Amino acid sequence: MSRLMRTSELAKRPVVTMAGEDVAQIKDVVFAAGGGEVGGFTLAGRGLFSGPASHALPWSQVAALGADAVMIDDESVLGSQESVLDASAARGGSGGDVMGSQALTDSGVDLGKVVDVIIEISGTRDGRCDVIGYEIEASEALGTKGTRVLIPLPDTLAASGDHLMVPAAARDFVSDDLAGFGAAVQAFRAHLSEAR
Amino acid sequence: MRFSDADGRKVVSTSSAETVGKLDGFVVDPQQRRIVAVEVKKTDSGDTLMWSAIVGFGADAVTVTDAHAITELSEEVAALAGKDHHLKGKRILSNAGDELGPVDDVEFDPESGQVQALITGEQDIAGERLIGIGSYAVVVRAG
Repeated sequence: MSRLMRTSELAKRPVVTMAGEDVAQIKDVVFAAGGGEVGGFTLAGRGLFSGPASHALPWSQVAALGADAVMIDDESVLGSQESVLDASAARGGSGGDVMGSQALTDSGVDLGKVVDVIIEISGTRDGRCDVIGYEIEASEALGTKGTRVLIPLPDTLAASGDHLMVPAAARDFVSDDLAGFGAAVQAFRAHLSEAR
Repeated sequence: MRFSDADGRKVVSTSSAETVGKLDGFVVDPQQRRIVAVEVKKTDSGDTLMWSAIVGFGADAVTVTDAHAITELSEEVAALAGKDHHLKGKRILSNAGDELGPVDDVEFDPESGQVQALITGEQDIAGERLIGIGSYAVVVRAG
């Protein structure tokens, strides 16, 4: 069963062991494969006196990512921040910070500003956590200026600090909410592979 | 039997017929999914009564052979005892990372001490789904 989530919702989500202890919480999402995948998370400590914990959690060690917690087997799976950042960088890097970037179609139309990243959890352990779309604040081109809409991404993408390039066809597969978004992404990807 | 029924029940010695304490909590081993000891207050000796030392867990009293059955916390159960490992009121988290609600009550077998179900709202979660009991949450297998 796959599940869609906004990465903005993940911040502060507790990291809980199967023994029921909350050992950390998510600070930031570390992207890998040029921004197309989640490589892991940097972590912060829990509670009042928690300083900046230098721990991180690679995606391969996540037992489950649910609505209320990130489950891990035990505390030993946490790695150093460097190891997770380096491993992600080795697999194509973070793809830069896309928040605030302009989503631009390959035909040169500005669809809006990126405000959130949508991920799909298709499986843990051996599975992946793919970035499947972005939430953007719609521009005039979409006819719903100012509203937040979801645009699907193809398997691969190009992003700089300023722009996020999307195929022109992406605008035909925009959704308003997460419920219908999974289907929109699939339809969009099917459309792209047919076009090839 | 439920934790809410059993809590506060008197502990009576069968040799002296005296009340030697009052039941004040349960020590559950999540791996065995079983009560391994009960916590007892108002005693002269300690505050822990091992499940194996209980003669009878009845509707009105818990019986022991004598007051010495109640001991100080042993090393064996120390890691499982204390507020951090109590079930009642704690949030239940599935191993898929979803909250299922707080533990309102616990159904157990007064003969074996086996945890039969965690009760949250209208839902019963089978005792065999129990994985861990920690300070943050009770973890159960996703249903």
